Amino acid sequence: MSSRGEKRRAERDGAASTGSGASPMRKFYWALGLVAVVGVAVVGYAVGSKRLGRVATQPVNVPGLDDMTTLVKKAQGVTMGKPGAPATIAEFGDFMCPACRDFDLTVKPELIRQFVETGKAKYIWYDFPLVSIHPNSFVAARAARCAEDQGKFWQYQNVVYRNQARWDELKSPVAELLSYGDSVGADPGKFARCVRSDAHAGLVSAEMRLATDLGLNGTPTIMVSAGSGSMPRKLEQIDFASIKAELDSLLDSIPVKAGGGR
Amino acid sequence: MTRSDRADPPTSRMVVAILSMVGFFVAFYLMAYSLGWMGSLICGISSCETVQQSSYSKIGPVPVAAIGAAGYVVLLVLAVLGLQPARRASRAIGGLLLAGAALGVAFSAYLTWLEVGVIHAWCIWCATSATIITLIFLATLPEVGRIRGRREAP
Repeated sequence: MSSRGEKRRAERDGAASTGSGASPMRKFYWALGLVAVVGVAVVGYAVGSKRLGRVATQPVNVPGLDDMTTLVKKAQGVTMGKPGAPATIAEFGDFMCPACRDFDLTVKPELIRQFVETGKAKYIWYDFPLVSIHPNSFVAARAARCAEDQGKFWQYQNVVYRNQARWDELKSPVAELLSYGDSVGADPGKFARCVRSDAHAGLVSAEMRLATDLGLNGTPTIMVSAGSGSMPRKLEQIDFASIKAELDSLLDSIPVKAGGGR
Repeated sequence: MTRSDRADPPTSRMVVAILSMVGFFVAFYLMAYSLGWMGSLICGISSCETVQQSSYSKIGPVPVAAIGAAGYVVLLVLAVLGLQPARRASRAIGGLLLAGAALGVAFSAYLTWLEVGVIHAWCIWCATSATIITLIFLATLPEVGRIRGRREAP
């Protein structure tokens, strides 16, 4: 009898000790769960409410572009080379266009080597995404301008062209375009915030309008000019030899100043 | 059942776990901004974006906030492990909690010094995280006694 009583007492003590350990732990898990739920809700709301709007993938309306002065002011291309170089090579390009890709990866480097690096010409890129046939080209153009914000435009352009086949048919190319930012050493956070927004949509749209107003209808379009005030000339042949011949001729036509410079 | 199994769960470790969970969410919020998941921070009167966009907000490619979030996860896991009946008297977990919290306080003090002395801007979320890690450190102090008590036990 006494042994059965001791056994019951032992069981009761065991239950009590287990209970004294389990109850605070249960309360603790409830508290931890509550903090987790509140944390997810608060941080989720905070991130969601400050989330960037839709990524701008299509041209936007920019007021005032009917005025040519405003249009030229807003359609600021990306320039490489000496601002005061005697000649100018302007390219209107589309990141999804295969011919632009070929031009930028083959002809452009030679133009840069022979004319830009020697100070004879500056090179200006203008965006002309043909959005009706190239649905991803507008966002790619914006992404390149986001890279330009960090001084990485030309490197980024090169990577985007080299990988054109990887992103041009994607339903959403944003993730792929963001990864190219990493490969050129752009600050990932800053770059992502820029791409995942409508940043530079107005700029790219203004350049598209400039191209349209100039009567351009295809890419790549190369225009050259030399000397101050000369009208840019659109080139029909855009192989290196033809562009070189045109530039040499233009540079030769510039009168030599008394100081020896053009 | 051993003596350590029957011991009450240490309240200090519960406090560490709960504070670590709160700290994780604060660090995660800053990390979300740093990684470009959102456009701006809810910041009040401080200058969070100045701090978060400074060159000191990253160590190499890794956002400082991500390091903080990872640190809080480690402390949370250690504290929850240390609350399990079989590990309530664990010297190893006590030592790791103490060392982790001390490291966190030192890192946080360095970041606060950067804000005050170098960036000349402060961020309310960084200050919140600094407060949390300090409280966690204070909550880990009983581990000293736990380690010593265990050593002295026959």
